Amino acid sequence: MPIRLLSLPGKDLQYALDCMDIRDLVAFSLCSERTKNLVKSSNRKIEPIAAYVYEDYIYFDLKTENDYDSTNDYISLYVFDSYFEFSGSLEIEEWRKEEFTQNDWIAHFLNIFNDPMIGYLGILNTSLSYLDTIKQLFPKCSRLAISDMFSRAFAKIAFWKLYSIAEKVEIYKNICDDKNDTSKLLTLSLKSLYLVDFVNPLKLNLDDLLILNITDVTIHFANISVKELNRFLKLWMQGNRTFYRPEVISLCLENGTQLNYEEVLKGIKYENVKNYYRDFTLFRLKRRDGKELNVFIADNEFTFRVV
Amino acid sequence: MSSTEQGTSSAAPAEPTTAPESAAAPEVPESFYYVHGKDKVVHKVSAGALQHSALIHGMISNLGYTEEQAKANPFPFENIDGDILQMVVDWCNQHKGKPTPPEDTNLPKQKEKLFDLVLAVNYLEIKELLTYCCKQVAMMVKGKSPEEIREIWMIPTDAEDEAAEKEAKKRAGKEAAGETAAAAGDAK
Repeated sequence: MPIRLLSLPGKDLQYALDCMDIRDLVAFSLCSERTKNLVKSSNRKIEPIAAYVYEDYIYFDLKTENDYDSTNDYISLYVFDSYFEFSGSLEIEEWRKEEFTQNDWIAHFLNIFNDPMIGYLGILNTSLSYLDTIKQLFPKCSRLAISDMFSRAFAKIAFWKLYSIAEKVEIYKNICDDKNDTSKLLTLSLKSLYLVDFVNPLKLNLDDLLILNITDVTIHFANISVKELNRFLKLWMQGNRTFYRPEVISLCLENGTQLNYEEVLKGIKYENVKNYYRDFTLFRLKRRDGKELNVFIADNEFTFRVV
Repeated sequence: MSSTEQGTSSAAPAEPTTAPESAAAPEVPESFYYVHGKDKVVHKVSAGALQHSALIHGMISNLGYTEEQAKANPFPFENIDGDILQMVVDWCNQHKGKPTPPEDTNLPKQKEKLFDLVLAVNYLEIKELLTYCCKQVAMMVKGKSPEEIREIWMIPTDAEDEAAEKEAKKRAGKEAAGETAAAAGDAK
């Protein structure tokens, strides 16, 4: 026996929507424009939406925010143009909206969960010609990740085509062929760059660290000498650069490299700071202008963190 | 449990059974009130059970009825079907003086009654029961497709919504025109 849900008093309707899981809310939002707006105004909080792009479909993860009680309230969708598929309780289900394109689905999910942009955009398996389409589909995202499935040449093209849509970028191939590429990459105005390539380390020198314009950089593996790290810290201590944007520089040097903290900190005044949570020592550097820095040095890792 | 008398809005219901007296401290006798729905069937409910309803609780506090006055003046809820009111009374009795559990297995399972029950419970301001009912409403569409949800919850399509909106605007326009004409007539 059906009931006329939309005739319920607003508060009761809201409570009924609050009791629904994400999958049912998405289904309800697809019933009509009115139900879509009801889901939107129900203000369901979800984790930032993750989307993974393949050439012929986009995989979406929609998950309840802070799902600590392990209710596993999530839905994973394979979005094509006029429909999407997902694993139902017994079989693969398919929901259609004939007039929809992938663009409409993205807008729909962002809209009903009041998300201004996709939280994590993974580029997994696409052709070069599809990169422009990706940029159209996702004009903005919080974090962009370019997988290691691509060749170095492809990753380089994909990065330079797409980096501007995100504030934070992860790339799993060293895309710098020469000094020029490295300078271009490090002077980008990003909030964070996570560059991981265990096969082709990124060659760095003192100048690269000085021109760096990214707030938070992680590079695994990097190739830089201890002397240059020492010189960099000395320059920072002198406060030659009153405005230096980077707050975190985390470098993992090539396997087998052993950093000696005495060499890295040679000629620099520092104090040891015991870290009670992990079994290692931090070095605290204090500049004359009052700025402080934590430096972590162990095995092949060097981390610079402005306090 | 409530005692029910068919078709008598003002008939005196059966006397309440008195609770066995404790040897240590004699219990204060519980007071009872009377309610009826659309079908005029009177339900006798203890004040303790009625505490669940913020609306009735407020009425009781304001009126300060004696037992006799309460018997003679059952609270009328003409907007609530008799069987729905019976469900509500039963639930209030079952949960009298008890903390409400997170899941209520005693909730009526008839889906056809659920909508009316939600409206009644909302009107009577029984917060906990409303919570259970809304949960039950949500469970009706668990695992269903948009088409199935549209059917179960009688959701109009966009075209139907647009048509209804146009119709409402048309009606409002006509009413406004009628009022203007009437006002002009009055002025003459």
